[in-house]
Amino acid sequence: MEKLLTLAQAQEIQAEIYQLDTDLDIMTFENGRLKDISSSLQSGISLRLIKDRKIGFTYTRNLTDREELLRNGLVTLRAGAEAYFDFPRTGSRPELKTYDPAIESLTNTALAAECQRIHRILSGLTQAQVNLYAYKYVYRQRVLNTSGTDLQAKSSAYHMQAMLLLPGGSSGIRRGITGKSFLPASDELLNFLVELTNPAFRETRPQTGNMKVLFMPEAMYALTWRLKTGTSGKSVYQKESPIADKLEQKIFDEKLTVYDDPLNDQMPMATAFDSEGTPCRKLTIVDRGVLKNFYYDLEYAGRMKVPPTGHGNRSSAFGGDPITIKPNPALDYLYIAPGGHGFENLVKAMDRGIIVGGVLGAHSGNIPNGDFSIGLSPGLYVENGVIRGRVNEAMIAGNIYDLLKEIVAIEDTVYPTFSGTYPSILFDNVRVATRN
Amino acid sequence: MIDKLKTILARADADYADLRYETKRETKISFNGPELTHVTVSTTDGYVLRILKGGGFSTLAFTREADAEKALRTALENARLIAKNSRQPVRLAAAEAIQDEFMPKLEEDPRKIGLDEKIELTKKYNALARSNPNIATTSIGYSETIREKHFASTEGAAVREDLVTLGISGLITSRDGNLIQNARVAVGGSSGFLVLRNREEEFEKKKKVVLDLLKAQPVPGGVHNVILNNSLAGVFTHEAFGHFSEADLIEDNPTMRQKMHLGAKLGKDILNIVDDPTKPGQLGFYKYDDEGVPGAAVPLLRNGVLCGRLHSRRTAAEFGEPVNGHCVAEDFSYAPIIRMGTIFITPGADEIEELFAKLGDGLYILDAKGGQTSGENFTFGAQYGYRVKNGKVSDMVRDINLTGNLYQTMQNITAIAEDFRLSETGGCGKGQTNIRSCHGAPHILVRNVVIGGK
Repeated sequence: MEKLLTLAQAQEIQAEIYQLDTDLDIMTFENGRLKDISSSLQSGISLRLIKDRKIGFTYTRNLTDREELLRNGLVTLRAGAEAYFDFPRTGSRPELKTYDPAIESLTNTALAAECQRIHRILSGLTQAQVNLYAYKYVYRQRVLNTSGTDLQAKSSAYHMQAMLLLPGGSSGIRRGITGKSFLPASDELLNFLVELTNPAFRETRPQTGNMKVLFMPEAMYALTWRLKTGTSGKSVYQKESPIADKLEQKIFDEKLTVYDDPLNDQMPMATAFDSEGTPCRKLTIVDRGVLKNFYYDLEYAGRMKVPPTGHGNRSSAFGGDPITIKPNPALDYLYIAPGGHGFENLVKAMDRGIIVGGVLGAHSGNIPNGDFSIGLSPGLYVENGVIRGRVNEAMIAGNIYDLLKEIVAIEDTVYPTFSGTYPSILFDNVRVATRN
Repeated sequence: MIDKLKTILARADADYADLRYETKRETKISFNGPELTHVTVSTTDGYVLRILKGGGFSTLAFTREADAEKALRTALENARLIAKNSRQPVRLAAAEAIQDEFMPKLEEDPRKIGLDEKIELTKKYNALARSNPNIATTSIGYSETIREKHFASTEGAAVREDLVTLGISGLITSRDGNLIQNARVAVGGSSGFLVLRNREEEFEKKKKVVLDLLKAQPVPGGVHNVILNNSLAGVFTHEAFGHFSEADLIEDNPTMRQKMHLGAKLGKDILNIVDDPTKPGQLGFYKYDDEGVPGAAVPLLRNGVLCGRLHSRRTAAEFGEPVNGHCVAEDFSYAPIIRMGTIFITPGADEIEELFAKLGDGLYILDAKGGQTSGENFTFGAQYGYRVKNGKVSDMVRDINLTGNLYQTMQNITAIAEDFRLSETGGCGKGQTNIRSCHGAPHILVRNVVIGGK
């Protein structure tokens, strides 16, 4: 790596290298059968070059030919995309406890045994088909640049998700657990899944209309996707954000607090620096309904002439390979602060409404505007605080900038999901379209 | 390279093994608003190993040649573990061990066109899309992906094939006060760079749509009779029906497997659906899948009756149905999985005008904005639409998302037009992205569709 930087420096070019090595095992259990184990051992290098206020970007998997990598980088540099920043010099960062060596001794045999155990328990409690998905993941990342930054971290993650399928296919109630190493699924988790699933074997046909809607954490990404878009420095710069002029204004219900916390190493994948080497910090996005901050990477901080917030991440809303994605503003460690109500009490508070366990079509619709119009997958109909059954072919629609003003109550516990760590939230007055 | 793959495979203690090596060359150019914001030219490579041992079948993707031994060892352990935890052993359906090299015929090879020309063409289309004060911004990019694939198996297969995929696509955003609207634009394909030239009309058309959307009303939620244009009918075919033609999605789901038995009457007699990746020139074309099996045209629905299914070698054996070459990976990071190639509804008998006359009052909705399926239920978005009164198209409507149940909706397709169009760019995300996922259809009339509205 250092040789590559030296080669660039010899041509008076600023250079940044992002290196990522990953070791991943994914296990899939469907209907009591170990269907698949997919493993991968991947490495990769991204190279960014800056010279004369222009920036280039290239990447490779194997650094067998430094000259070719640099040549590709120079071709893109000459193409002339504007650079709005220099690579920063970031000194040492606080060492987070992101790696648990116990993950190395977690065998796939042990993972399979845990999946079998969970399947046995759940199958005894429900007639629903049980599908399980588990993975263990170790990754090492390094950011170094010609300004003197050289940051490294090693992290581990374990995740297991159980889903109980409802009649009609692959829609079901699901919940996962996540840790830096193996965590057995608790009885509480498994019982929760069963208690929601069993009443949903009945089909109900509620009338179209406005009603209360309880978004479970697993469905929350449909809303936070739009919030992430609206508060991104990129959207603000591109004049796509409807809340660009709303900083320090109360735009949501005061029960809502949203923040990004990459430093919380109780959770796996925590990091003290972003993928450009900018120091990370906890950043409040919404504090008791008041919009507090937008978030930036180096590029959009440079364009807006504001300090970067440490959100230059190599991720996208549709996933993707970090090596191939150039850094862009991304909230990858989002939390919604818990409220004061147990999940059962939230259900009891619904005179008439829908529990949204998952959604279909979160990616369609006018995301910058905050609009959503999503299928329920699944939706459970509640009347007088009791789950009456599942709802087929139903959609809910609205706009998050209206919906997040209509919060009735927030659950007292948060759960990690792929998009962030969220509680369930009960909303009022949501439009639900059904066949009736 | 094939010899190197064979050497590695010779060390596999397996009942069957295959190894795929790919070099992936990508060029991407992005404009945001007036500005060129991103250019990358990159070359990456890696291997995917699959091992069948004692009835267990596992996959391992690796990027360093030095990891080949570890990959062989780990994949073997995983295959044994799967065998131990499965009720029935995995078998692979027989397939001819093909030895062939196939390079697609391109109308202008993008490798022979300079980066500057690609930037200039993208810049031109981006400028067209931006040329109105109510266009807030654009996000339009050029994408060139070239997979150079090498495949070998312990059965003696040795296949070399290139896949070249090109597109210029993106989002056009309009704004009027606090109202923000957007629409997608895309041109592209697998036939070479020529497909990207002289496409100004497409960008002009989508600019007009996104400006008109600023004056459109939100669609009322509820149940509507609708005509879907080619793009939306193609997405419906892909999302609602096509995924359940993929054997891996239903094999461990007894409910779906029962409902999707061959011979099931799923639609009216007028409905015929085919998946055909074999026609050169269309986006989804390939000669061999990533198991080295020739891609084949598969009639899926004939006169409304389910008559075929898409398979890998593993699922073909499990279902006792023919292998048809539909097992495809995104790239060297992934195991191949069952994929649609080019799925479409075959043209019907009605002229488009007759379709509108049959609709009477309802909605005409156009151009896909993403779709998703879960079990029998699907949801997909439309970029824009129009109210239809007495068979005549009137006001534009926006914020359109549809949901439905596969089986009910298939029965509700009551008329099919004689026109036909295939998609030019893809992006199905079934665990991994298939940028060559192609779909198409005539205009179709569907009754009683649930629309979310706003």
